[in-house]
Amino acid sequence: MPSSHGDLDRQIAQLRECKHLAEGEVRALCEQAKAILMEEWNVQPVRCPVTVCGDIHGQFYDLIELFRIGGEAPDTNYLFMGDYVDRGYYSVETVSLLVALKVRYRDRITILRGNHESRQITQVYGFYDECLRKYGNANVWKYFTDLFDYLPLTALIENQVFCLHGGLSPSLDTLDNIRALDRIQEVPHEGPMCDLLWSDPDDRCGWGISPRGAGYTFGQDIAQQFNHTNGLSLISRAHQLVMEGFNWCQDKNVVTVFSAPNYCYRCGNMAAILEIGENMDQNFLQFDPAPRQIEPDTTRKTPDYFL
Amino acid sequence: MEPAPLASLQEEGEGEPGESPSSAAAAVPPRPATHHSLHKYAPLDWSAYFDEERRVAIPDTEDVFNVYMARSEGPVVFCLHGGGYSGLSFALAASRMKEKARVVSMDLRGHGKSTTSDDSDLSIETLSSDVIAVLRTLYGDSPPAIILVGHSMGGSVAIHVAAKKVIRNLHGLVVIDVVEGTAMASLIHMQKILANRAQHFPSIEKAIEWSVKGGPLRNIDSARVSIPSTLKYDESRECYTYRTPLEETEKYWKGWYEGLSEKFLSCPVQKVLLLAGTDRLDRALTIGQMQGKFQMVVVRHTGHAIQEDVPEEFASHILNFIARNKIGPNGVEIPGLIKKWQH
Repeated sequence: MPSSHGDLDRQIAQLRECKHLAEGEVRALCEQAKAILMEEWNVQPVRCPVTVCGDIHGQFYDLIELFRIGGEAPDTNYLFMGDYVDRGYYSVETVSLLVALKVRYRDRITILRGNHESRQITQVYGFYDECLRKYGNANVWKYFTDLFDYLPLTALIENQVFCLHGGLSPSLDTLDNIRALDRIQEVPHEGPMCDLLWSDPDDRCGWGISPRGAGYTFGQDIAQQFNHTNGLSLISRAHQLVMEGFNWCQDKNVVTVFSAPNYCYRCGNMAAILEIGENMDQNFLQFDPAPRQIEPDTTRKTPDYFL
Repeated sequence: MEPAPLASLQEEGEGEPGESPSSAAAAVPPRPATHHSLHKYAPLDWSAYFDEERRVAIPDTEDVFNVYMARSEGPVVFCLHGGGYSGLSFALAASRMKEKARVVSMDLRGHGKSTTSDDSDLSIETLSSDVIAVLRTLYGDSPPAIILVGHSMGGSVAIHVAAKKVIRNLHGLVVIDVVEGTAMASLIHMQKILANRAQHFPSIEKAIEWSVKGGPLRNIDSARVSIPSTLKYDESRECYTYRTPLEETEKYWKGWYEGLSEKFLSCPVQKVLLLAGTDRLDRALTIGQMQGKFQMVVVRHTGHAIQEDVPEEFASHILNFIARNKIGPNGVEIPGLIKKWQH
């Protein structure tokens, strides 16, 4: 286990070059991170100034670009709203770097749980396979997915801006309801914890059945009521690709922030981050993808469609 | 010659316990005796999975479509098979789905036991019109709640039917392992894939054996039910060959898949895309999925025919979809009412 900041600084420097850590280092890092995250709340308080970020999805070089645009940690405080892994080519390096930064600068970076920080989802969408490819076994996948159970579900910036990955739940009217949840578990298939990571805002009023197969859709009336009940000015969330990188909706009760540019290396979207200043002023920074690197050979054969 | 009825293809002493030898056995063309080692590839009859086989004659046409039906109440899961398959592709899944829903599985034009004025016309327009005609003939103007399920080519047909917005009481669309981007990319290889298939079989058992050893399926039990209906007997060669000459349908392939992703996203019903083994989305579907416009399920450890390879898991996904979307026999039940989670 690293005994000094020096070890961590070396690991962070290594990770910034997109070189993954040794298996033993990951194990130690996750143990340290677990001890820190265990102390955090389901609704983790965050001070301003802070820069709020959405999905990253293993797009490591775009994360480096994000830091270039928004400022390096720890000079800039960051709040990431989940979905660090899957789909991109560098989930291992991405999540390792963010966890290492969390351990090194625990008060400067907040990392929340997304719906992809889950054992079941990562076995399908790439992180599990990437761990096998890079380490030759599933141990690193297990260390990280065990750690994911400890990630906070939501954050609250200066008691005003409520941040979470997905959206609201018909089971949760107040922040105290969220505080009462037992979060240290795999993301369930249904229920309030699932909803926080899966739900989406919608143009229709009220609650609706989500087309995603998990969570709910919620209308402007729901968001407005939630904000009023809890004394909030804004819900900031991620989870949905928006072509400009950010999108206001529901009469500015909700904003979506998406931080993976040209998502999946094919969608052509911009990315954005939300700077919340010392006076709670808001500023969006948009950015395009970093120059493409030589990607690992993960090509798949053309499927044998039997029509 | 049309494929002989399944029961008539079984030799004495073969088949499931309790099956009586068919009186149609005399009509069976001669074929090599089945070796004992092939017993595990012996055909299975549809009646163990569906309750009824019905011939649906379309008014004012010569077209008669064969459909397999299970259960008589609940929402209708209306299944459309892929190119070269048949309605029995959904047999094993149907036996599980019928616990909670009606299942109707259709032999599309040029497939299975369906007969039409032009079996070679597999254009997407004709296939879609056939499905609409069968639904109207079965249910008239007041159909029960319908969930369209389509595999591969049948998935394309299901999307086109749903996108036309002419099916009253359509409440769900389930598409199995077909994505425009990868389908279009694979078409250039398709003739080679088709040519590399075993083309002739001395017996139905041998065809079933090939289908799981070198062909598209991974589930012997499903193959035993579904493969016989994809074959016909070739008198001149004294062997079995494919009922549907897919290599002759190439002119229709592009039409099956072109523009499919946008069409799928535009369908105004709840949607599920089931993919085999890995996430193979094209750009439009990647954006749509990440905007929460449909549910995607990646089913691992399966080949292209998910409903045949893992019928239990497939059926569970369908039943979960019905339950989650509160689809009752006549439509969505108690719309807009969502109970609070009990703390």
